[in-house]
Amino acid sequence: MTDQDTIVSSPPKKKVARTAKKITAPTKKESQTRPPLAKSHRPAVVSPAPKKERSRRTLNYLLRSSKEEIDKQEGRLLVIDRVDSDVMVLSPPYLDIQNPRIVETVSVRRNNATSIQHSLKVQAKRPPLEKLIPRLEILSEQLNKPDLWDDPARAGKISREHGSIMGKMKEVNAFEQELFEHIDMIKLAREDNDAELELTWPNGTETGSPKALLQLRTHIKEKELEALLAGEQDPCSCFIEVQAGAGGTESMDWASMVMQMYIKWAEGRGFGVTVVDEMPGEMAGIKRATIKVDGEYAFGYAKAEVGAHRLVRISPFDSNKRRHTSFASVAVIPILSDGYSRVQINESDLKIERYRAGGPGGQHANTTESAVRITHIPTGITATCQNERSQHQNKASAMAVLQSRLDHLETERQAQINAEHTVSLTDINFGSQIRSYVLHPYRMVKDHRTDYEVSDPDSVLQGDLDGFILSFLSASLDKNKDEDL
Amino acid sequence: MKSSSFARPSLSSILQPVFSLRPKHGRPIICSTILPKPHTPIYLRPPAFQATLSELKKWHIWAKNQATSVGSTFSDLDNGPDSTLLHRELNWLVEDALEQPAILLPQNSRNNYDDATPLSIRACLDDLYKLWKQRIEERRPFQYVVGCEHWRDLILSVEEGVLIPRPETEMILDLVDNAVKGNEELKNGLWADLGTGSGALAIGVARILGLGCGRVFATDLSPIAVAVASYNVERYNLQDRIAVRLGSWFDPLKDVQGELSGFVSNPPYIPSEDINGLQAEVSKHEPRLALDGGANGMNDLIHLCNGAASMLKPGGFFAFETNGEKQSKFLVDYMHTKVKGSFYGVNIISDFAGIQRFVTGYRA
Repeated sequence: MTDQDTIVSSPPKKKVARTAKKITAPTKKESQTRPPLAKSHRPAVVSPAPKKERSRRTLNYLLRSSKEEIDKQEGRLLVIDRVDSDVMVLSPPYLDIQNPRIVETVSVRRNNATSIQHSLKVQAKRPPLEKLIPRLEILSEQLNKPDLWDDPARAGKISREHGSIMGKMKEVNAFEQELFEHIDMIKLAREDNDAELELTWPNGTETGSPKALLQLRTHIKEKELEALLAGEQDPCSCFIEVQAGAGGTESMDWASMVMQMYIKWAEGRGFGVTVVDEMPGEMAGIKRATIKVDGEYAFGYAKAEVGAHRLVRISPFDSNKRRHTSFASVAVIPILSDGYSRVQINESDLKIERYRAGGPGGQHANTTESAVRITHIPTGITATCQNERSQHQNKASAMAVLQSRLDHLETERQAQINAEHTVSLTDINFGSQIRSYVLHPYRMVKDHRTDYEVSDPDSVLQGDLDGFILSFLSASLDKNKDEDL
Repeated sequence: MKSSSFARPSLSSILQPVFSLRPKHGRPIICSTILPKPHTPIYLRPPAFQATLSELKKWHIWAKNQATSVGSTFSDLDNGPDSTLLHRELNWLVEDALEQPAILLPQNSRNNYDDATPLSIRACLDDLYKLWKQRIEERRPFQYVVGCEHWRDLILSVEEGVLIPRPETEMILDLVDNAVKGNEELKNGLWADLGTGSGALAIGVARILGLGCGRVFATDLSPIAVAVASYNVERYNLQDRIAVRLGSWFDPLKDVQGELSGFVSNPPYIPSEDINGLQAEVSKHEPRLALDGGANGMNDLIHLCNGAASMLKPGGFFAFETNGEKQSKFLVDYMHTKVKGSFYGVNIISDFAGIQRFVTGYRA
């Protein structure tokens, strides 16, 4: 589908934009935010030291500062981070166009050097290139067949996939070289810890260097995201489903808070959000709801949220002001595009029901209520939709949900057969409690899988989830790697 | 084009003048009455009005409170809408009336839009108040309020005087779809939708028949219905394949007697005495002409059943909507006894709610 289109067509365009930005943005920022740096010391384009040397010195500085001078330098590091995220706005090839937040959250207060080390670690865990090579060969072979365009839809798919893999290979090759160079550099920097530190900063002699480092870091950050989201279904759009746990109104209110959190998160990332199904609670909140999140890598990110979310607070619904614990469970289902093999649904296996108030119906009743529930009899899986304006559309939406659920079930079944995936399966265990949101007696949100925690629950509930998501993705990558060994 | 026993040349000579709605070709039967001008649904109007965000928010909060205050009163009273449904309808009104409806969504309430931001709307603010008041206080059907009904995959313009197509009726098109599948003769033949109202079934059938030679007649006794149906037909760019004719049932179709390959109808079938007890949206606002089927509700169904025998050609398909089990059984029984031998494959089909809603069959 269009995922691949964008992958193939966009990088050249954005690279141009990135380079342009790299030159202008940091320069401007620096001149604004650091007036004491003598301008004469900083030639705009050409730096006196050779490139490698320059970066090395800066690395030294940054590594050093990470250990000893974070407090002293924090102001300046934050400046760097902001410059960095400015660059990020334009840079990543297909991950982060609208929203630099993800980068900020990860990068703020972590210095460049450690960040790069981390990225390299992630990079190393990328699915091996060798896996792509045979696929590329098959595709090239098919592309060369004369009868290829007899089926234009298939031909389009093949040439898109081919282009996408070619693009990836090219990137990987180019990056590999750079990578080796920088790995060496980091090693060197570690060895002669403090050697040339004073020369690089704060005298301002080497202001070009942090910039180079920033560029490297920006680039490497993209790669890291790419590596984190390398799953086969990660690029898909998805459904997010929230269901209130036991506990009446309090837990239904919690479920609707969780749903709002995801809606805001998704909108903040520039994803399209549609409410597919919503079953309101009697007093407040929701019993359950399903939203459709449209956008590239929606599933890749959102899959980190699967599990039970726990809330601890003084319930506003309890007249005795007691502390309550409630749960909401979250499921995330990828919406496979045409390129994937999908479960064939037999019309005769379906039970299709309309919600109605009863009575004779037809001309007797005029209602805009046209909810549809579809049950897949062999599996017992159901899907409901009532937010569309016609019954036909509700049915179509419910069918889409059902199809995705069945696809997902099939994927999991396959994964169970295929031992190498069992790890990711236990990661996405519906019942497990993954995160606690404590509003009383203290305030904190803590992820039980990664121990990542934030002391400002409000911002999290307003959709600031990227820190949690990224830390989980990195952690699960580590885990998979360990299993492989 | 596939050749068949169907007499192609004679058919096209019939169709040529009939299917052009241009005045110079138009038949007197279409032009004899000056049709009323149909209303444009809100969602199709230009965003010619403006209101500030704070004014719209104020309206929205007022409207939400109105919806909430209804609670379950209407549904207890006469099976009318409850608050949940009214809230959903309000969202749809916002969707139709605002150029950027998203700005009123709850998740945007914390975004720092300036309350003085002018927003473009498709009906003036006073009208928005008026429309929602009509919905709540007068129980004016939501579809009349916004001027359209989402039905199947269509958005049909509707207004007072035209029956709002029901979700149950969507299924007739599935029945037609099944009938024409693999039957080229039906697919390329002449069809009719009698008592077309908004034109829903005629448009649906024409879309199923596709780009072949299949053509559809849509008739209605009501000039408003004919005007609205014609408007909808043109909006779906089907004026070359659907002819809308004014008149009672088969009357305007004398020229194609015995030539129809299929016909569908959702005629009035509610017994007269039941009409006043229906939910307010229906009894107070929808056209009685489209609902009242006489003493036992069967007057028009029987008429159509008799007509089907003379209008359909052998092998022709029909599908009627009825009031439910009693009427469906009566109709099947009638076909097996009173017009014996005229039909075969007569069948009762249930709607999604399990009510025996449709009678289908073929001309023998």
